[in-house]
Amino acid sequence: MDFYKFLSQNSLYVVLFVVLIIWAGIYSYLFRLDRRLRRAEDQVEKHHHER
Amino acid sequence: MEWWKIGVGIWLTAVFAVALSFPIVPEPKHWYEFPVIPGLEERARIIFFHVPVAWTTVVAFLVALWNGVKYLRTMDLEADAASSNSAGLGLLFAVLATVTGSIWARFSWGSFWNWDPRETSIFVLLLIYGAYFALRSAIESEERRARLSAVYAIIAGVTAPFFVFIMPRIMTGLHPGSRGDVQGSGPVVQFHMAPNMLLVFFAALIGFTVLFAWMMEIRLRTSRLELHFMNADSEQS
Repeated sequence: MDFYKFLSQNSLYVVLFVVLIIWAGIYSYLFRLDRRLRRAEDQVEKHHHER
Repeated sequence: MEWWKIGVGIWLTAVFAVALSFPIVPEPKHWYEFPVIPGLEERARIIFFHVPVAWTTVVAFLVALWNGVKYLRTMDLEADAASSNSAGLGLLFAVLATVTGSIWARFSWGSFWNWDPRETSIFVLLLIYGAYFALRSAIESEERRARLSAVYAIIAGVTAPFFVFIMPRIMTGLHPGSRGDVQGSGPVVQFHMAPNMLLVFFAALIGFTVLFAWMMEIRLRTSRLELHFMNADSEQS
């Protein structure tokens, strides 16, 4: 309850949470994209060796 | 996963947290307080976001220039892919810098768009790189497209630092750091910022640059896969 009160009086921290959530979303997107790409590269590499 | 990719996540999280949570007070007494910059007040925090984004734009356009030179020397299509990918990311960051600057301008100058020298110069920069992609999509032949856009990326890349760093600074204008701007804004450019702000500012510059490097690496590896499949296709046919 006090936490909500604190946030409503210090709206800067609301902005902080919004920014951190957006950043977490973008970061995890990049992270997973990187991992998927690595898997695709590995498969191409494997395929290349098999031929 | 390489260590620097995890590092940039932690680094930028810390930068954002500090940039948005340190209070701005008239007379800072602690290391965790930012001083008030007259005329900017709470809006001064944009410097930790908007300026690094604009900085990354220039870095990206210079990387595009560098890879343009590399293409002309080696005629390697991978250098062309690097050049166009970098220009693309530069354009993305330029749009972000324009939009964030415009929102900020609404509350600092009273209007979203004032044709201030800074706004005019980024507008011209957007046109220049918009034309780059128009040029690329207009040419069918890969080699020809690569050669022409390499030359274009070199010429355009030379203008980028001028439009971002020099032109808005030698003209009088509304943007912080313009000529004749003694108050608040001057310190930003002459690095007379409070040491703790300066530290966070440079940390943000480094963080955004590394983030760009990561995005660039992902795009390059995608292009490499595309080139690989294109070559495989042409071998088959």
